[in-house]
Amino acid sequence: MAAILSHLLPGGEAGLAGFGGGLTRPDRLDSGMWDLHRADLLGVPGVWRTDPGLRLLAPGNAEDARHVPVLADATGLDRVERMVVTIDYSPFPLALVFHPGRALPLLGFGVKYEIAGPIRASALTGGEWIMGGAFVDAMGGGCSAPAVTHARPDWQDGFGEMRARLWPETGRLRVGIRHPMDTGLADGVPAHHLTDLTLTDAAGAEIARLEIHEPLEENPVLTFLLPPDLARGPVGITARDTSGFRFSGRVAA
Amino acid sequence: MRVTRRQTLLGAAAALLPVPARAAPEYRLEPRQVADGVWLIEGAQESIAPANGGAICNVAMLETPEGAVVVDTGGTLRHGAALRAFADGRLGGVAASLNTHHHPDHWFGNGAFADRPIQALPGTTAAQKAGAQALSDGLYRILGSWMQGTAPLAATAAVEGGDMTIGGRGLTVMALSGHTGADLALIDQRTGTLIAGDLLFLDRAPSFPDADLAAWRAALARLGGLPVSGTIPGHGPFHRDSRAVVQTLAYLDAFAARMDAAASLGLTPAEALAAGPMPAFAHLGANPAEYRRATVQQWRAHEISALPVIGGSV
Repeated sequence: MAAILSHLLPGGEAGLAGFGGGLTRPDRLDSGMWDLHRADLLGVPGVWRTDPGLRLLAPGNAEDARHVPVLADATGLDRVERMVVTIDYSPFPLALVFHPGRALPLLGFGVKYEIAGPIRASALTGGEWIMGGAFVDAMGGGCSAPAVTHARPDWQDGFGEMRARLWPETGRLRVGIRHPMDTGLADGVPAHHLTDLTLTDAAGAEIARLEIHEPLEENPVLTFLLPPDLARGPVGITARDTSGFRFSGRVAA
Repeated sequence: MRVTRRQTLLGAAAALLPVPARAAPEYRLEPRQVADGVWLIEGAQESIAPANGGAICNVAMLETPEGAVVVDTGGTLRHGAALRAFADGRLGGVAASLNTHHHPDHWFGNGAFADRPIQALPGTTAAQKAGAQALSDGLYRILGSWMQGTAPLAATAAVEGGDMTIGGRGLTVMALSGHTGADLALIDQRTGTLIAGDLLFLDRAPSFPDADLAAWRAALARLGGLPVSGTIPGHGPFHRDSRAVVQTLAYLDAFAARMDAAASLGLTPAEALAAGPMPAFAHLGANPAEYRRATVQQWRAHEISALPVIGGSV
């Protein structure tokens, strides 16, 4: 089923089907802030549709409003130019803009949730916007609570540490960066968050680029999908944040 | 007073349709004596939901001449009040109550027992106080009117591990951890009944929001070695063999193995969550919901070892 890997776990194929397979029910999601966000954040007031080629997995309930795991898989669509992740009732409705470039249009990430509502991934392909989304029920507070790391006196220890691994057989790349991802909404904690991340090939040429905004979770882990030639690595990873810090790493298979 | 169009429509509908008044929710308890003077009020094998009013945990009561020793007080004030009414009506009142740990389904009924000592491990009391508001907000959101009048009341007296006597009834208290940071289990010395709190689940998926799997395994090893005549798990039926120890340990191991496998295969937590529980445990009460919750709660601990450090701040 698309590029979703739930079936690699025993019983996972049936489990995923029982979960709904990440398919979007447009009757439930043509609501909320969608018309406004379509106009303001995608720049296209009218034309959109859903498509089984774009699947989005998200839990029905945010068990932890600081870490809501999401996978947006647009590999069933042709020629995706970019994917835009928006959260309907977030104080920061624009979460991520993904330019897949030479990577495949799949993005795994976690977000903070301030209030229950839909999360959407919209893919631009051939001048048309395809939207996949899910409703996430949440107690909220994820964007306005201080990062957990600030509860420790040594929060700067390990700041920026980058972890990553390539799986050439599936094309997966997972990248984690230790970062508080402060939104600026928590009392006395100024905004300090990642702003962009770039993947490069062995020659240093760009593979893909991700624009990052406040809702991305603390200590984010991102998942990408690379074609076989690039998935053999090595892949360079660079990132920046609002305070001018730069982060860099290199992962080989 | 202005009446909106919606109110007018609703009023008209109410006048026209023979809609029966919705009965105020009430708790119907079915206490059962499982050993000499040991009563069990079994919880629903489900997640907390409006259909069960949050009455999902097992409550045990031990008869003494001075009234019942009540182990866990229910998930809402009104649940606690229903339990109290049984203790007052049939067991000569309440001598004392105990909270096995800080998860709200086990102690949000404390308000109905506030006139008698409410005992807990110090770690439990601290966690009750720290988490009361968030837990309460969550339960009001899920349970609505079932929660009427519920104001979380933390335990009022400290208990340590060791032997103690309440109302002439000897209890062996064990201060353990693993399901949470402080888990109380006890043995009723007269009957040899183990009251295990949520260290033991039977036929209901274990919950993991505060789990430390290594400590939980150690606690299970200790409980599994005890010569007991019967066991009341935190969730699930009374039983006389070691089924709950075996099943809880098997679930912990299988869950940890599934998370490790998912992380080492490069899955995202969303995919591991959507895959649902281990097939052997898919039928347990509260699954797949409890498995999905646990995936979010436990994922990071398993993911970190699958991702080597490859860079940093430059």
